[in-house]
Amino acid sequence: MKRSLRVAVREYLENIKTKGFWIGILIFPLLIWGMSELPILLEEKGIPTRHFILIDPAEDLGEIVERRVSRINRRRELTKLFEHVMKHGKQDRSSAIDLEQAQEQLESLLEEAGSSLDELGNPFSAASSLAKVADLLPDQFLENESAFKAMKSMVLSQLPAEAPPFQVPSKKFQRVWPPEGLLDGASETKDIEKRLKPYLAGKKLITSGGEEKELFALVIIPEDLPQTRKGLRFWSSNLANTDLKEAIEDSITKEVRSREFIKRNIDIQIIAEVTSIRLRSENFDPRKSEGEEKVGIKDQIRQWAPVGFVYLLWIAIFSVAQMLLNNTIEEKSSRVMEVLLSSVTAFELMMGKILGIAAVGVTLLSAWVGSLVAILALKAGPDAQWAFDLLAVVLTADLLVPFAIYFLLGYLLYASIFASLGSICNTIKDAQNFMGPVVLILMVPLVTMAFIPEEPNGTLARILSWIPLYTPFVMMNRAAASPPAFDLWGTSILLLVSVVLMMFAAARIFRVGILRTGQLPRVVELLRWLRKA
Amino acid sequence: MEIALTLDSVSKNFGDFKAVDDVSFEIPAGIICGFLGPNGAGKTTTIRMILEILRPSAGSITVLGAPSALEVRDRIGYLPEEKGLYKKMTAVGIITYFATLKGMRTSTARKKARALLEQYGLGDFADSKCEALSKGMSQKVQVLASMVHDPEFVILDEPFSGLDPVNQQVMEEVIRDMRKRGATVIFSTHVMSHAERICERILLMAKGKIIFDGSIADARRTIPRRVLISTDASIEALLGVEGVLGSRRPDGEEDSGSWEILIDDDLDPQELLRSAFDNGIALESFQHSEPTLHDVFVHLVGDDAKIAEAR
Repeated sequence: MKRSLRVAVREYLENIKTKGFWIGILIFPLLIWGMSELPILLEEKGIPTRHFILIDPAEDLGEIVERRVSRINRRRELTKLFEHVMKHGKQDRSSAIDLEQAQEQLESLLEEAGSSLDELGNPFSAASSLAKVADLLPDQFLENESAFKAMKSMVLSQLPAEAPPFQVPSKKFQRVWPPEGLLDGASETKDIEKRLKPYLAGKKLITSGGEEKELFALVIIPEDLPQTRKGLRFWSSNLANTDLKEAIEDSITKEVRSREFIKRNIDIQIIAEVTSIRLRSENFDPRKSEGEEKVGIKDQIRQWAPVGFVYLLWIAIFSVAQMLLNNTIEEKSSRVMEVLLSSVTAFELMMGKILGIAAVGVTLLSAWVGSLVAILALKAGPDAQWAFDLLAVVLTADLLVPFAIYFLLGYLLYASIFASLGSICNTIKDAQNFMGPVVLILMVPLVTMAFIPEEPNGTLARILSWIPLYTPFVMMNRAAASPPAFDLWGTSILLLVSVVLMMFAAARIFRVGILRTGQLPRVVELLRWLRKA
Repeated sequence: MEIALTLDSVSKNFGDFKAVDDVSFEIPAGIICGFLGPNGAGKTTTIRMILEILRPSAGSITVLGAPSALEVRDRIGYLPEEKGLYKKMTAVGIITYFATLKGMRTSTARKKARALLEQYGLGDFADSKCEALSKGMSQKVQVLASMVHDPEFVILDEPFSGLDPVNQQVMEEVIRDMRKRGATVIFSTHVMSHAERICERILLMAKGKIIFDGSIADARRTIPRRVLISTDASIEALLGVEGVLGSRRPDGEEDSGSWEILIDDDLDPQELLRSAFDNGIALESFQHSEPTLHDVFVHLVGDDAKIAEAR
């Protein structure tokens, strides 16, 4: 045992000295951080203003589109403004105090502009915080220039003096005009398109506000669109971003519909009222305790969080079992093995290696889970309730305890497989031949990972749970769904038995395998090693 | 006399192949013993069984009084034929590691490792990674790793292979130093001159069996003494001298005037020289030399070695 520990200590120290280990440790928090920051960054910096040319000979529907575009831009500006105020406002101010005072302030501002909350629709009536007001803001506020300004100055006044000034975000969409004279004499759609094609393809730039811009899209609204309802042409070399196209289609469709309603003498106001009706279900879970059955976002997170754990488990087990394989092969191919064997028995050596690498794995996982918790704790705040919820779910014993147990058992199972594999291979190349099928087998829990939470106690999940190679992953996946006790204990016992059997087999194969060079053993030989020794 | 190692009817089979076949011998404590034999003779298998890396198919082995090397492994040092180091570890790190596996405390082991590296001229490379060492240097490091714990019983499998002549001498020194300290040393080699210089005892193995066990003098006695002469005259008269066993042309010189005259232990070669004068045989050369260990080796296992090479 003492010797195994010595082997383990060397194995641990040598492995944590490698660059690969530190890359592994650091890449995970970086990825998590990146995933939480990237969308924000992309939104702030990544997506430039989309410039588009609108050809509307009837000078009719174009205005509808422009109104929609301006609403989108203004909503974006206000959302950013609210976020800015939430972020920089004093913590205790943001939630409770302002609402009434803010409403009064807004009302007086609106009065000056000759409007009122009643007329525009009151976002305060259902809001519990300033953040909610932003979500509930009616379109009228955005369409009405003075209401928009009133809202803006009201929100800005909530910002403490020491806070950094608000940077107005760039517009999402911006209508531009064709270069002067370019379309002279071009009345046919074809001609217009032909002349603007070089701009759309990025070969020429369009001038707007004194600056040269790339043309994102060309929209041609035929004169008779309201009657024929076809012929709306959208040109763009960017097929992936459909925001503008959808906004245009939707705004024109709504306009054409409302004209049709009017034509058929149907009151638009009634239609608007009726279509604004939205029903939402409240979700309950019978497994939760009396009076608390209501399902919230936290429960959703709880349902899906195991997927993240399964993924961690998979990566951790694999990367460390792979380490074991490589180290064994290294000892074999560098011929260190035989010196070692004069000091430790094959079994002591194998156990030492397995232990040492397990410690590497535990270090890796603790670093990962620790950094995940740290990042969530940093993120969590009034504007990121999800981080709080996720943190609460991650830190419960329901997930962390099974995670630790399944990591250990799963690791031991795979470690014994990889150690025996390493012992019979002479080079990494030999090992790669075996790795192909092994990886294929191991893809199963990864592929099914996303489906299992939908039916955690379904047939597929249950069958996979009973295959010891998959038990750690699949049972981890089901951990949040309180699997039947029979499955929980049955699969655990089966897994434990498999681990013990595999360790015995591995010890025997390892003993013979590590001294063998030359040809890889055949399966019959392996079986003979298992029987003898 | 204290016995360091006893093998009693030890055999090892790999499937149908008998690698070691009913081998018995004893090695007294405190001597240097050469373990010789052609490739494939079963030396490494025997050594592995002594160290309990392999288990014998039959027979028993007693090492330092224990029925298994495992019980006394802290008192044994081993340098295998296939030598290797962890590429990423430093010289001092790896020697320390092997010493701790032999039960030494890490701090003591580290001091001892540095001292040994210094003593054998590797002081400047103590903190270099093994992958940066030359072959000779890494072999030295390995030898040091096998003796850092001052073992009573040392087994060196081909310690000279891969070393230049200067380092081969250093290696001989190392082995003699161990002996001076009171350790028993067994080493295997193909190079007979090393064995001839430093061994007190020789074991010769071929085809899984011990075919010779004794001192160097005993070994020399296994082949007849020879006198090499060169002459154009007939050597008929010399063959009549009492104690002459026969004559033959040396290998590869069948058409020359060279002869190899085999004589028994009692005949003084001077008798032969006198008889040549008396009989008017004009000698171009006359040479008497004791057989070398090389001759003994070729004599005893020459054909087996060729067969083994061809296999």
